[in-house]
Amino acid sequence: MPRLMPGSITIAFDVMGSDHGPMEVVRGAAQLSLEAPHIHALLVGQRAAIDAALAGIRHNGERISVHHAPDFVGMGEKPEHALRDKPEASVAVAARLVADGEADAMVAPGNTGAAIVACARSFKLIPGVRRAALAAVYPTRTRHGSKLDPFSLILDVGATLEASADDLVAFAVMGSAYARVISRNAHPSVALLSNGTEPNKGPPNVVEAHRRLIAMKGLHFIGNVEGVDIPQGSADVVVCDGFVGNVCLKMLEGVHDTVAELARYAYRSKLKWRLGLAMLSSGIRQLQAVTDWQQYGGAPVLGFNRILIKAHGRSRARAIANAGKVAAKAVAAQLPRAIAEGLRP
Amino acid sequence: MTLPDRIDPRPPKHIYRWDLDKTYLQSEFDTFRQLMRSAFQKASDKVAIPGAAALIRELRARGDSKLFILSGSPKQMRAVLEGKLRLDGVEWDELVLKDNVRNLLRGRFRALRGQLGFKLNALLESRAATPVDSDEILFGDDAEADAFIYSLYADLIAGRVKEDDLRKIVVAAELYRDEVAAIFRSLEKISTADPVRRIFIHLDRLTPPAVFSTFGPRVVPVFNYFQAALVLLGDGALTAPQVLRVAAEMVQSAGYNLLMLSNSFQDLIRRGLPLDKVAASLTQALDGPEALLSALRPMPDIVAAFSKRIAALGTPPAPPAPVSVDYLALLKHARPRTGKQADPIGE
Repeated sequence: MPRLMPGSITIAFDVMGSDHGPMEVVRGAAQLSLEAPHIHALLVGQRAAIDAALAGIRHNGERISVHHAPDFVGMGEKPEHALRDKPEASVAVAARLVADGEADAMVAPGNTGAAIVACARSFKLIPGVRRAALAAVYPTRTRHGSKLDPFSLILDVGATLEASADDLVAFAVMGSAYARVISRNAHPSVALLSNGTEPNKGPPNVVEAHRRLIAMKGLHFIGNVEGVDIPQGSADVVVCDGFVGNVCLKMLEGVHDTVAELARYAYRSKLKWRLGLAMLSSGIRQLQAVTDWQQYGGAPVLGFNRILIKAHGRSRARAIANAGKVAAKAVAAQLPRAIAEGLRP
Repeated sequence: MTLPDRIDPRPPKHIYRWDLDKTYLQSEFDTFRQLMRSAFQKASDKVAIPGAAALIRELRARGDSKLFILSGSPKQMRAVLEGKLRLDGVEWDELVLKDNVRNLLRGRFRALRGQLGFKLNALLESRAATPVDSDEILFGDDAEADAFIYSLYADLIAGRVKEDDLRKIVVAAELYRDEVAAIFRSLEKISTADPVRRIFIHLDRLTPPAVFSTFGPRVVPVFNYFQAALVLLGDGALTAPQVLRVAAEMVQSAGYNLLMLSNSFQDLIRRGLPLDKVAASLTQALDGPEALLSALRPMPDIVAAFSKRIAALGTPPAPPAPVSVDYLALLKHARPRTGKQADPIGE
C-alpha cells in the first residue's frame, strides 16, 4: 500500500497501555514532534485524556493527530479475551489504522500479547514467515555495526512458545534484516542459541535449522552459540524459540537488577566500599548510559507486513520518542520488504 | 510620507494589527550574533512566516480595512522592513517602530527590552484615530508579551479594566512615568467600545497552547496561519476560497502537506474552537466558482482528510468559557524574557 504522504512517516501510538498512563506516551510523541520533522504521531486512545495531556506540554500541533478509542487492554488482561470483549480497544484500533494505511507503523507500550494478537488480526505475515517474532536488544561487551551499538538482538523472546526449524530460519533472516537496517550493520553475524557450539548439539529443530542456515547465501551465519556468549556479544543476532528467549531475557534482567542491588548493599555496608564505589561513579554512570535500554526505544515484532515496535510498559517519554524514531527508520528502510527478499527462495 | 496612500476613502471597518518579528517574519535574535545578523539583513534576505503574507492579502481584499503594523524593531530598520513588505505584496497603512536609539541615549534600559509601555501606548494612540464602530483582529507571537498586551488593550478600550487597576499594572510593570502618562492620555481620547474579535498568537516557540487559556477564548494560539484562516472562516471574517488560497500558498511555497494541514485543523477542533461547519464550506468552495483550486493538489485531498480527522475524534468538547483576566497575576507575561525560555509561564 502506498504511504499516506510521501516524505512523511506516520506512527500510531497506543496511548493507553503504558504503566505510567497516557501522559508519558503523549509526552514521548510530543517530544518526537519537536525533534523529527518528518515523523507524524497519531495518538490512539481516550481523546479527553490525550487532549488534557497534550494541552500543557510543548509540542508541534502540525505533526500530531488524535484518533479516539474508548477502551483499552490492561497489563493483566488475557489478550484474546480482552480483544474479543473490547474491539474498540486502543491497541486494536491502532493496528487497524496501520493496516488501513492511516499510519505507517505502530508503537505499543502496553500488554505485549494484546499488541501481537491485535497486529496478527490486522496485519499480514510476510510470505515465508509462519510466526511473528518478538526481538529484544540487550547490552553486550562488544560493539556492533557502523553505529558501534553496544547492543545485540535476540529473537524470539516470547511471541511463540515453540519454533520449528522453518521458524528459526525465518527468525534468523528477520533478525539479520533488522540489524542491517536499524544498526547499519552491513553483514550482521547470526547465531543459533544451543547447548554447545557443535552443529549436532541441541534439539532436532535447532540441528535442522543449523543445517539449513549454513547453506543459506547472503546470511552471515556463524553457527551455534551458548548462553555465555549472549552478554559477550559473540553474535550480532541470536536466534532461539520464544520460550528459551524469554527465559534468557528475564535472566539477563535479573542479573542486572541483582548487581544493582548488590552495589546498593555495598554502598550502605562499609565506608571503604562506599568510597570505592564513589571513585567508580563516573565509570558506572557511563556504563549505565551505554546500557540504557531507553535510548533503544523498544523491541520490534518482526514477520508482519507492517512495523510494530513494542515499547517497554514502564517506558518514559524519551524511550517512547526513541521507539517512534526506530519505527520510522524501519518504515523508511522498508524493513518488511528486506525481510521478504531475504526469505525468497 | 512613509505610509502608502489609502485608496479607499471610506473609514475602515476592519482593523488588523500585526506584530512583525516572529509574527510576520521568521526572526532569530535570541543571541547577540543573531540580533546582529537580523539587523544587517537586506529586505530580500528576510523570510516571512508561511501563509502570513497570503493571510494579510486575503484580509485586505475586503477593501474596507486598515493594516496597522507594530514592531519592537528599531526605527533604523524601517526601509528594510518596508522593502520586505513590498516584496511580499503587503499593503499597510501604519508601520510603527520603536525608538530604541532614543531609549539608549536616555539610559532607559527597561524601555529598550520591555514592550508593554511602547506597544500599549502605540495601540491606544492608533485606536484613538480609528472609527468607533470598526472591529479589530490582532496578531502577535509567544516570544514576547503580545498575548498580555493585546488582551489588556482589548479590555481597556472595552472598559473592562478600571483606571485604578491599570495604574497598579503599569506600576508593577515598572513603566517609566512618561510612558504611563502617555497611556492615560491616549486612553482619554478613546470612546468605549468592544471591537477586538480575536487575538492570534503565533506559536513561534511552540509554547503549550494551554498557557494562553488564562486570557480566555478570545486569544487563539496558532501553530501556523492556516489555523488562523480557519478560525477566521468560522468567525465569518474570511470566505472558504480565501482560506484555500492561504493553504495553497503554504503548500506551494513552504512545503506544507496534507498531513500538516489536516493535523492543524484537528488541533483546533480538539481545543474546542467552533469549526464544525468549516469542512463543509471548504468542500463547497471547491465545487463553486473557485473550482480552479480543485486542480491545485492536494486541495481536494486536504478537504477530504478534514472530515476524517473530525470523525476520528468522537464527541466534540464544549467551547471554552469566557474568563475574566487578572492582569496583575499575569504580569510575568509582560516582562522581558531572558534567554531561550520555552514559554512565559514555564512548564
